[in-house]
Amino acid sequence: MQPVTAVTQGIADSELPGPYPVGSYAAQLKRRLQEFARVQLVGEVWGFRAARARVYFELRDARGALPCSMWRTEFDELQVALADGMRVVVGGGCDYYPGSAASSPSFSFAVSELRLAGEGDLLAQLERLRRRLHGEGLFEPQKMLARARLPKTIGVVTGEQGKARDDVLAGLRRRGWGGRLVWAFVPVQDRHASPLIAAALRELAAIGEVEVVIVARGGGSLADLFAFCDETLCRTVALLRVPVISSVGHHTDRTLIDDVAAVSCSTPTHAAEAAVPVDCRAARAGLTVAARRLRDHGRRAVLSRARALGHLSRAPAEHVTRHRKALHQRLRELRASARRQIERGEALEGVHLLVLERSAARMQGSGRVQRGRELERLALALAAHDPQRTIARGYALVSDRDGAPLGSAAAARDAGDLALRFHDGVVAVKVDVQDGRGG
Amino acid sequence: MTQERTYESAVGRVEEIIRRLDSGDAGLRETLDLVREGRELVEYCAGELEAVNKGLEELRLEELVARLEAGELKA
Repeated sequence: MQPVTAVTQGIADSELPGPYPVGSYAAQLKRRLQEFARVQLVGEVWGFRAARARVYFELRDARGALPCSMWRTEFDELQVALADGMRVVVGGGCDYYPGSAASSPSFSFAVSELRLAGEGDLLAQLERLRRRLHGEGLFEPQKMLARARLPKTIGVVTGEQGKARDDVLAGLRRRGWGGRLVWAFVPVQDRHASPLIAAALRELAAIGEVEVVIVARGGGSLADLFAFCDETLCRTVALLRVPVISSVGHHTDRTLIDDVAAVSCSTPTHAAEAAVPVDCRAARAGLTVAARRLRDHGRRAVLSRARALGHLSRAPAEHVTRHRKALHQRLRELRASARRQIERGEALEGVHLLVLERSAARMQGSGRVQRGRELERLALALAAHDPQRTIARGYALVSDRDGAPLGSAAAARDAGDLALRFHDGVVAVKVDVQDGRGG
Repeated sequence: MTQERTYESAVGRVEEIIRRLDSGDAGLRETLDLVREGRELVEYCAGELEAVNKGLEELRLEELVARLEAGELKA
């Protein structure tokens, strides 16, 4: 800091540097104060007053107090009313207004975040509403809805200027998704936001081709996100027939729309990825593989069966050949066997013949003796009937000239010439036919 | 009543078919029937993927509503 020119003398005998222009010192003080760490403070509100651009109040507790100020627009977005004695948590840092020749300086703790603490705070209000909606079963209907894995049209409700828009696009591109995206741009943090968000959701859901809706908003204080805790909005979402994917605030924030939505995600990028669960590039690659596997299965099935059929068609011929060889072998064996049998038969036959001959020879010897005896017996029988023996006893045999025996007188007469055979010779006799009675 | 075909149901069925074919338990007739069904489903899925492969088209809600009212798009 440059000291004041020599026009103004400093205090004689003073060891302190200077004198410096107060404005420069004030500016430096402002910078130094702003270097203090930004923190959260808790205390009670006193002397709240709202000016055109800022609101002012003191934050007090038993040990001290601090003047606070906040931009009016930011305060209005909180939709809270402060009164003396209310306990609040504020976030911010030290600031100093250096003033000027025409205005007074002032020190304040510049509040950028504020929430009510204790029974009356927003969190308690939210919790009560959350319990009521849950008790009515409004957290379930969205979760029961079927979600398309590959939607062709997606609706997005978000702020037009917010980063959430870019995040949603980034998430969809990461999925390789190139369908139709319908933007419903709405305010996402002032007191009028809730009805507009609800209206946008209803309109998107009414368009048949919208298969899923993303509600996205970047981070902010709970007060910033309070629009997404509106009871009417939550009831609207719960009863929509189109799945809603919410991504409101940071992952530590939990708004009521997160509870009633089909899915709640920590970031708009994740919400976009949840809206299209399929990685389109991977799915295309997977489909190509599936098509190839199906083709291979089909081809393999046909080829393997064709090979099997070919084998079967050759089988009868091979079977016949195999049997023909077996039969030829069998035939050769039969022939050899037959030859051996014949040779063995012939040998046996010779033996039998020899046996028979010997047997016949034996039979022949014994027969001859027997036949001799028979002949002898027959000869004796014949001899018993021999006429010669009768003749020998004195009888004579009458026969004709030819020797034929004659048994009657008539035959003798007819014969005329007779022969009388005696045991000692034959006498010729002539019959006297005149006698007539023989003689 | 037959269930409406969706991308997810088609993909699920294709996976089921491939598992069955991989098992080697399917006979020739079943194999050919499954392959035919699988090919048809793959074509359907390819069509669905193609529908979201035309490049991201961004529309404002009011613009879409106007086009729908003008009959330019199918609702």
